Amino acid sequence: MTDSITPLQRLLDALHDAGVEFIIVGGVAARAHGSSRLTDDLDVSYSRSPGNIARVVQALASLDPYLRGAPPGLPFEWSDRTLHNGLNFTLTTTAGALDLLGEITGGGGYADLLPHCITVTVFGRETLLLDLPHLIHVKRAAGRPKDFEVIAELEALREETERR
Amino acid sequence: MYDIQNVAAVVRECRAAAWLTQSELAARAASSQSGIARIEEGSANPTVRTLSRIVNAAGFDLRVTLVPRPAPDPVIERYKQDVDRSLLRENLRRTIDERLRSLADWQRDSRALQQAVRAARVPT
Repeated sequence: MTDSITPLQRLLDALHDAGVEFIIVGGVAARAHGSSRLTDDLDVSYSRSPGNIARVVQALASLDPYLRGAPPGLPFEWSDRTLHNGLNFTLTTTAGALDLLGEITGGGGYADLLPHCITVTVFGRETLLLDLPHLIHVKRAAGRPKDFEVIAELEALREETERR
Repeated sequence: MYDIQNVAAVVRECRAAAWLTQSELAARAASSQSGIARIEEGSANPTVRTLSRIVNAAGFDLRVTLVPRPAPDPVIERYKQDVDRSLLRENLRRTIDERLRSLADWQRDSRALQQAVRAARVPT
């Protein structure tokens, strides 16, 4: 039988249940704004405050987080100290891929992104989402050729939204 | 500075800075709690006059600044010609929650497909 809770919802629920301060950015944010693209990972900007780092660790502990692409068996301790000593983490979890971003190119950290967020209700929970103009801004700032098609679609979405 | 399209953040941030609940801000701005909630969720689009009244009620003034838009990037403009806008318009008819539920379903179905392909590759 198919589980009615999708992996994406499991990830978001885990973060919400632990009270993590986070903002959805990246492909899932693009999808939320109307993009037709599919994405396999959830990108979130998270607050780097010690309290929030502890909540992130607690939130994901039961989802077996591990460094995505790292050789199996590589020692990796999921702890406050690990998060404190790092910044951006690309993780695999039992609920799917998750990118924890302390900073994003052209956007800065969680506090820098807050004024550029909207509050949306997703899976019944109030969630912060990077707004469309700033999503375009950070994608442009990243300057990666692989993002050209994405930026084009986001700009088309902005035009479509402004026409409505 | 806020983008004018992000009225939600303006209201949410001014309310947070003034330590007001949605109901308290609504009472001061002669609005309703549900009206403030809809603005903060991005599902209502208040007039400039209404927005100004709300931020005034939280103890702020509203200022508007004109910022030149970045010039169109010719590379992006070329890519834009290939965007299927019918898909975008279809998505824009859905709520944000519906869009993400659809993504979550697609992700789950994609994983099931990938597992099926992997299983098919296993020699018997």
